[in-house]
Amino acid sequence: MRGMTGMEIDISGAFDPAGPDDDAQGQVPTERTAGATLLEVDDLAVEFRSDDGAVRAVDGLSYRVEAGRTLALVGESGCGKSVSSLAVMGLLPPTARVVRGSARYRGTDLLALSPAKHRAHAGTHVAMVFQDALAALNPVHTVGYQLTEALRARSGLSRREARRRAIELLDLVKVPNAAGRVDEYPHQFSGGMRQRVMIASALALDPDVLIADEPTTALDVTVQAQVLRLLAEIQAERQMGLVLITHDLGVVAGVADDVTVMYAGRAVEHAPVRDLYAAPAHPYTRALLRSVPRLDAGADGDRLPVVPGRPPVPGRVPSGCPFHPRCDMARDVCRTDVPPLADAAPERSSACFFAAELLGGARA
Amino acid sequence: MPEPTAATATPDAPGTGVSASLGGDAWRRLRRRPDVIVSALVVVFFTVMAAFPTLFTSTDPQRCIIGDSKTRPQGLGATHPLGTDVHGCDMLAQLVHGARPSLLLAFVVVGASVVIGVVLGLLAGYYLGWVDTVVSRTIEVFLVIPLLLAALLLLSLFRNVSVGSGAFDVILLPALVLTLFGWMGYSRYVRASTLEAKNLDYVTAARALGASDLRIMVRHVLPNAIGPVTALVPTAIAGVISAEAVLAFLGIGVRPPAISWGIMITNGAEWVTGGYPYLLLIPLGCLILTVLALVVLGDALRDALDPRLR
Amino acid sequence: MGRYILRRSLLGVATLLLVMFVLHLLTTFAIQINGNPALAFFGERVPTAAQLAAVETRFGLDDPCYDQTGNPCLGPFVERLGAYAQGDFGTNLRGREVTDIVATAAPNTLKLFLVVTIVWFLLGMGLGTVAARWRGRSADHGIRLTSVLIDAFPIFVLLLVYRYVFAVPLNAWATETFGADSLPALWFRPSFDDDHSWATLLVPGILLGLAGSAAFIRLVRASQLESYAGDHVRTARSRGLHERHVVLHHVMRNSAVPVVTAVGLTFTEALAGAVITEGMMNIYGMGGVLWEAVRGTDVALVLGVVTILAAVTVAVMLVVDIAYAALDPRIRYA
Repeated sequence: MRGMTGMEIDISGAFDPAGPDDDAQGQVPTERTAGATLLEVDDLAVEFRSDDGAVRAVDGLSYRVEAGRTLALVGESGCGKSVSSLAVMGLLPPTARVVRGSARYRGTDLLALSPAKHRAHAGTHVAMVFQDALAALNPVHTVGYQLTEALRARSGLSRREARRRAIELLDLVKVPNAAGRVDEYPHQFSGGMRQRVMIASALALDPDVLIADEPTTALDVTVQAQVLRLLAEIQAERQMGLVLITHDLGVVAGVADDVTVMYAGRAVEHAPVRDLYAAPAHPYTRALLRSVPRLDAGADGDRLPVVPGRPPVPGRVPSGCPFHPRCDMARDVCRTDVPPLADAAPERSSACFFAAELLGGARA
Repeated sequence: MPEPTAATATPDAPGTGVSASLGGDAWRRLRRRPDVIVSALVVVFFTVMAAFPTLFTSTDPQRCIIGDSKTRPQGLGATHPLGTDVHGCDMLAQLVHGARPSLLLAFVVVGASVVIGVVLGLLAGYYLGWVDTVVSRTIEVFLVIPLLLAALLLLSLFRNVSVGSGAFDVILLPALVLTLFGWMGYSRYVRASTLEAKNLDYVTAARALGASDLRIMVRHVLPNAIGPVTALVPTAIAGVISAEAVLAFLGIGVRPPAISWGIMITNGAEWVTGGYPYLLLIPLGCLILTVLALVVLGDALRDALDPRLR
Repeated sequence: MGRYILRRSLLGVATLLLVMFVLHLLTTFAIQINGNPALAFFGERVPTAAQLAAVETRFGLDDPCYDQTGNPCLGPFVERLGAYAQGDFGTNLRGREVTDIVATAAPNTLKLFLVVTIVWFLLGMGLGTVAARWRGRSADHGIRLTSVLIDAFPIFVLLLVYRYVFAVPLNAWATETFGADSLPALWFRPSFDDDHSWATLLVPGILLGLAGSAAFIRLVRASQLESYAGDHVRTARSRGLHERHVVLHHVMRNSAVPVVTAVGLTFTEALAGAVITEGMMNIYGMGGVLWEAVRGTDVALVLGVVTILAAVTVAVMLVVDIAYAALDPRIRYA
C-alpha cells in the first residue's frame, strides 16, 4: 500500500511542470503590514443559467479584506455569500458565470485572468476552508499527502521534506500526536480534528487571505468554539486577512472586526462589529440579531424570535427592496425603489431608506 | 450555494410522490426523443410479427420445395419476396415465424427473471438476517457461473430430451436455463434500493401506524426499487435475443424443425461466401435492428430515471 | 488488511464449494431425467451393453443414484471433490486428462484476455474520461452514441459478420498485397493458427474487447462524473492545483474504486464472450475446448472445464476484493 502511494507521488512530480513557473513570482513572501488591503472585491455580480433564464445569485457585492483583520460575511443560506467566494477563487460551477465586477488581489484583478491562471494565482495566495471537511478532503489519500499536495506540486519538495512539513502543519493546528497521525486517512479523524486538518491544508502555502466558508457549522457546539479560537489565533499570529462566511451572527461577535450582512445577493449593511451589535442600521440585521440566543435575556422562558417569512428564491426576488415582504418597517417606497448601499454613519453603510431612523431610534 | 436548476427540478413531496413524479418526468422526457419513438415502433412491429405471423405472410414456412432452393429476393408482391433458403423454404415466412421463438424466449426469460429477482431482493433487503444471508450467498454462487457456460453445460446434457413442438415447448429448456442464471442482477439492485427505502421516514411512519410487512413492501418499498430494474429490462431482452442466436449456432437452443432467427442465421452463415449473402444478412439485419432498438430504449430509460448522468 | 484477505479467501472457498455443489446437482438432475446417461457419450452410434457399462464406470455414472430422480447423489459428489482435490478433473471422451487439455489451451485464452483487457482499458478509460471531462459537449454525445451502437452488436454478431463477410476478402486482399506469410495476412486469417497465435488472436481479441467496452465506457463516465461533483475536487482546485493534476489524483484516482469492482463483475461476461470468440474463430483455448466439447456432447469435459473456469472466477473476484480494499482506505480500515 505504501509503495502504491509512493508511485503516485512520483507521477505528480513528473506531471506538473507548469505549476512552479506560474507562481514563481508570487511565491516570494510578501510582508503583511496590518491594515494593508490584500483583497478587494468590487461590484461583483454572478449569474446562474437555468431553465427559466439567467438567475442573479450575487448582485453588486463589494468588500475589502485587510491584513490582520477579519471580515464576516453574514446571511441566510442562498444569499450568495458562498457563491461570491467561489467566484473569487475561480471555482464557480459550469452553470454560473461572473457578469460584472472585479476581485483585486494586491492590485491584480483575478477575474480578468484566464481560468487556469485565475485558479493558480488565487490558489496560491487565497486559501479556502470548506464547511464539510469529511466531504472536502479526499477519502483515498492520507492526510499528510493532502496537506502538502499543493506545496509539492509547486516546489518539487522531496517526500521526506514534505512529510516533515505536514507534521509541522498538524502541530500548528494543534492536532495531538501529529507524527503518528500524518499517515492516517480523513475518515479516521473526529469531526473537529478533521476541520483542523482542513485548516492546516489551507495554511500550507502560507496564504495572505483565508476564506472560511461556514467552517464550524458541521461541528458540535463545544468543538465550534475551539476551532474558531484556533482560526482567530492563527490569523492574528500571521497577520492574514480572514473572511469568515457564516449564517450565525453569534459566531461573528467574538472573532470578526467588520461585518457585511448579505441578503438576496446584495450587501445590505456593512459595519465594524461593535457598532453593528450596538445598533443595526438595517431591519434585516436587526431581525438577525434578535434571533441570536442570549444568556442575559430570554431566561424568563420567552420564545426566541425568528426572522419571519423565507428568503426569496434566487430568480424570484421581489421588486423594490428585496427584504420588504419580511420587513416590519416596510413602506410604499420600499415596494417600488431599490435602496442603494449608502453611508449611514462614519465607517458604516446600509441599504435601507430608513437607516438614519433606525440608528436614531436605537440611540434614543 | 444556490443551484437554481436543482431547486426547481426537485419536488418537495417525499416518498411515493417522488417516484411517481420521477416516473412522470421520465415519461415526459422520453416522449420528446425521436430515437425513442422510432425504437419503440420497431419493437412493437416485431412483437406484432411474433404474435400474429399470419398478418405478414400466408406462406407456410415448413412448406419447402427443394427445386426452388436459393431463389434470390424477388421483391414485394412476388411468390418469394425475400427469396428462398437452401431447402427452398420461403425466407419471408421463415423470418416472420422465426420471430416468435426468439422474442417469446426473450420475454419469458426476462419476465421470469425480473419476478424472481424482485421477490428475492425485496425479501432479502426487507427482512435481512438469515433470509438475506441465504439470498446473498445464492446470488454470489450463481454469479460465479457465467450464464453462457451454464447454458452450454445444461443444454448439452439435455440435448437428447424430447420436448414437444408447441410454441412454449421449443423454448422451454433454454428458457429454464437462461432464467435460472439470469435473475441475480435484478435481485442485487432491488436489495440495495430496499435497504435504502426501508429506512426512509415515511416507511418508518407507515410501520409505526401498523401497516403490514406485505403492504409496506408492495406500496412503499417496491415503487422505489422498481426504477433501476425498469432501466435494465430492454437491454436484458436484447441480451437474451442474441444469446438465443449463440445457442442456436451450437445446436442447443431452439431446435429444428422449429425456426428461429438464430437458426436462420446459423444456416445462412455458410452461404455468404458462396454468393448468397442475403441468407445471412436478412435474419441478421432483423436481429440487429431489434437489439439496437432495445438498447436505445434501455439507454433512454437509464437516462430518464437517473438524470444525474445526463 | 491480513485479516480482511483471510476472511475473503475463506468466503471464496465456501462459494466455490457451493458452486461445485450446484453444478453437481444440476448435472445429476439432468442425467436423471435425461434417461440413460451414458448413451449421450456415444453420440449417434448404438453401443453394446458391455460398452455402455464400461463408459458408465469410467465416468463414475455407475452409481445407482443416477437412476433415481430427485436423489442428490451425495456419494459421487464427495468422490468427485476428493478427485478435484488431487487435481483430477476427469477425462474427455478419448481418455485425455481434462487438466492436460486445459494446460495446453489456457495460454491462448490468457493471450486473448490480454488483448481484450488492453482494448477495454484504452476504450473505457480513454473515452469514459473524455466524455466525463467534456460532459454535455459534442464529444460526450458522440461517445455515448458510440457506446449504444457497440451495445447493439453483441460479440456473436460481430464475429459472425467478421468471419463470414469480411475475413475472407480481407485475407485475400492482404495475401495478394503483402504475401501469404505477411503479418496482415495472418491478422485477417479467419481461423486460429497455433504457430502464429498472437497474430491470429489479435482481431478476435479486439472485437471481443470492443463488444464489452460499452458498459465500461459508461461506468467510467458515471463514476468520474460523481468524482467531479465531489467536494474534495473543489478543495483540490481551490489550492490552485493544475487541472491535469486534479483530474489524475482526485477524479481518476477516486473513480478507480467503482471501476475495479465492475471489472470483477464483468469478468464472467468476458469469460462467456471468450467462449463464443474462441469457439467461432476456432481458437484453441479454454473456450474453444468447451465449445467443441458441447458440439461433441462431451459432458465430462464440459463439466471439468466449467468447474475450472468457476474456480478461476472465484479467484478473480477475490483479487478484485483485495484491490478494492487497497484502493479504498475506508474499506481497509473498516
